[in-house]
Amino acid sequence: MSGSIRFEGVTKSFVIAHDRPRSFQEAFVRVFRRTAAADRDVLVALDDVSFDIAPGTAVGLVGPNGTGKSTALKLVARIVEPSAGRVEVSGRVAALLELGAGFHPDLTGRENVYLNGSLLGLGRRDMSRRFDAIVAFSELERFIDVPVKHYSSGMYMRLGFATAIHLDAEILLIDEILAVGDQAFQHKCRERITSLKKSGVTILLVSHDTEAVRELCDRAIWLEDGVIQADGPCDDVLQGYYRSMVAREEARLAAETAAESAAVASTSFDADVADPATARAGARHAVPSATALPPTSPAQRPPSPDRFGSGEIEITDVHILGPDGTPHPIVLTGQPMTIRLHYIAHRRIEHPVFGIAVHRDDGTHVSGPNTRDAGLSIPFVDGPGTIDVHIDRLTLLEGNYELSAACYDDALSHAYDHHHRRFPMRVRAGDIRERFGLLALDADWTHRAGEGVDKR
Amino acid sequence: MTTHTNFAHQDRPIAHRLRELWAYRHLVGNLVIRDLKVRYKNSVLGVLWSLASPLLMMLVFYVIFGVMQRPSVDRAFHLFVLTGLLPWNWFSMSVAGGVGCVVGNASLINKVYFPREVLPVGVVVGELVNFLFALPVLIVMLYLWDIPLTMHALWLPVIVAIQAVFTLGVVFLLACANVYYRDTAKIMEVVLLAWFFGTPIFYDYGAFNRVIPILGWPIETGRLAYILNPMGTLVANYRTVLYGSPDGPPSAPDALFLLRTALTAFAILAVGYWAFARRSGRFGEEV
Repeated sequence: MSGSIRFEGVTKSFVIAHDRPRSFQEAFVRVFRRTAAADRDVLVALDDVSFDIAPGTAVGLVGPNGTGKSTALKLVARIVEPSAGRVEVSGRVAALLELGAGFHPDLTGRENVYLNGSLLGLGRRDMSRRFDAIVAFSELERFIDVPVKHYSSGMYMRLGFATAIHLDAEILLIDEILAVGDQAFQHKCRERITSLKKSGVTILLVSHDTEAVRELCDRAIWLEDGVIQADGPCDDVLQGYYRSMVAREEARLAAETAAESAAVASTSFDADVADPATARAGARHAVPSATALPPTSPAQRPPSPDRFGSGEIEITDVHILGPDGTPHPIVLTGQPMTIRLHYIAHRRIEHPVFGIAVHRDDGTHVSGPNTRDAGLSIPFVDGPGTIDVHIDRLTLLEGNYELSAACYDDALSHAYDHHHRRFPMRVRAGDIRERFGLLALDADWTHRAGEGVDKR
Repeated sequence: MTTHTNFAHQDRPIAHRLRELWAYRHLVGNLVIRDLKVRYKNSVLGVLWSLASPLLMMLVFYVIFGVMQRPSVDRAFHLFVLTGLLPWNWFSMSVAGGVGCVVGNASLINKVYFPREVLPVGVVVGELVNFLFALPVLIVMLYLWDIPLTMHALWLPVIVAIQAVFTLGVVFLLACANVYYRDTAKIMEVVLLAWFFGTPIFYDYGAFNRVIPILGWPIETGRLAYILNPMGTLVANYRTVLYGSPDGPPSAPDALFLLRTALTAFAILAVGYWAFARRSGRFGEEV
């Protein structure tokens, strides 16, 4: 049966283009420079990659940028040829790599549909049979005889998509699930791709959107630096990929934080004298980190919208701790975490109340617990200490959040110190599969069929 | 069902390549139609320009070489020019358009697979269509100036075929070279100008035929020019079968000489196609 794809030890390397002589002049100069072989830059996009895709499977290719996913698609589509190894493809290939590639602006929609069909080897008669379906799908009946240069970009892509999926290809190559037209049309495209899959079309999807892959594919291949990291059922592969993405983001954030706190350390010296505001601004980006907030006495501190209070108690730092109890810039849904507030009380204060607030970065106030509501009574504070907010199972869904931390008197009317939305908290998807909305309810679902549901 | 294997340095047998090219014949047709439509879009005369532009050029040559200077040919000089000008236009437009046909279609080559040969073939066929549009005008004008068609005009398809083969070979070579060295297109502008003057369009090689000794061999310069320039032979043959000699009616071409030109043309095509086919798998990443 047709629709299979087979990669056999495929290597694809590119010579970085800036080194190639593009004109006779450069070629001529190179003859005398004699450095030709040495300064060649070779990029290996795929390194001895082998896999088999059976007809009718939907496979997602995932991986960070520049790891050869799109190159793999281009090899299947025969746009580039491998440097070594072979790619065997049986069946007609339709590539949704760039919608409307080959449309000529001066030609009408109708003319372009026929031209596009012939680009994939279909003759006039073949296309005439499909033409009405293409136009109907694209919803461009009124504009089909208008030159496509007058189309909006959405119309252009709709026509391109409609043409590409009506070619009865056995293999469909998709580079990212396409954002074609409005919501309704996008739904239509997804439905169409799903129904193509059901009808036995082999699908190879490249996407950064792991959810899109999970939705459509049976199997995923995770490519990294040109080699296969994992290949297997979607859930397993994607989980591994996701973990490595989170680790990568953590490493990046840690590096940034280190760089910024270094910068803050060097600027806060001047800022003390010149402009305390800049020092605070710098510190805001640097938290959460090991560096404490700049110690400013209440007298010096002008009131500001994101930090205010009388200052008898100061919250000096906020740490977000992962399951292992060490600071993590990223926490995962469904996993334990701790928010640790470090404070210093400049004099004895009785019955203080510590609280935090969680806002999503779009301003939605998600939560705002405090020690009083939680039933933790603190008789008094004097000197330094910490407050831990421990969460057994984080139910926030993936997103970027901002933490506030505050310390008030027991009537919650007088602020000793209040940091408003000053601490970033990044949540990434973990063990919980939910993905819509703000929170995972993590509920148990039951199904009972038939009558007597009320009677039990 | 289409099954293909994509591997390094593809040496697919030529029969396979030609079959594939045939499967894509609709694409050639559509590209030709696209180019014609786009070329004449937004112009008042539209496709009539295929006829008007060679006639206007003929007028220019007539005024310069027929009126301002004494023409080298007395009998219907403007038709003498036109019979040469039409095939030359086909050739030069094909070369001018074909040299950039791969690079100019980068957006297609990067996104879709199709046999890359389609592009040069499309250019040459497109210009052939233009040539065939203009040919009836030439024949009518010949008739009006008392040079009616003769049996010898039946040679025309043969000459056209040879020119198509030759032109295609040249375009294959240049289109491929231009992918790697973009100077090719610039150089060809000058080369085409020189080639135009080196081709007997508004003059006849016979007019300055001399015998000069080269390495002890007596060489006729006219004959040498024909050997060096296949376009010269082709133009001369069009003229022989349609217009005749400067002072005689149309006659049969020198079949042996035409055969030699045909061999040259096929040799050029073989070289050009070989170079193009060998490289075309890499066009997707080079343009």
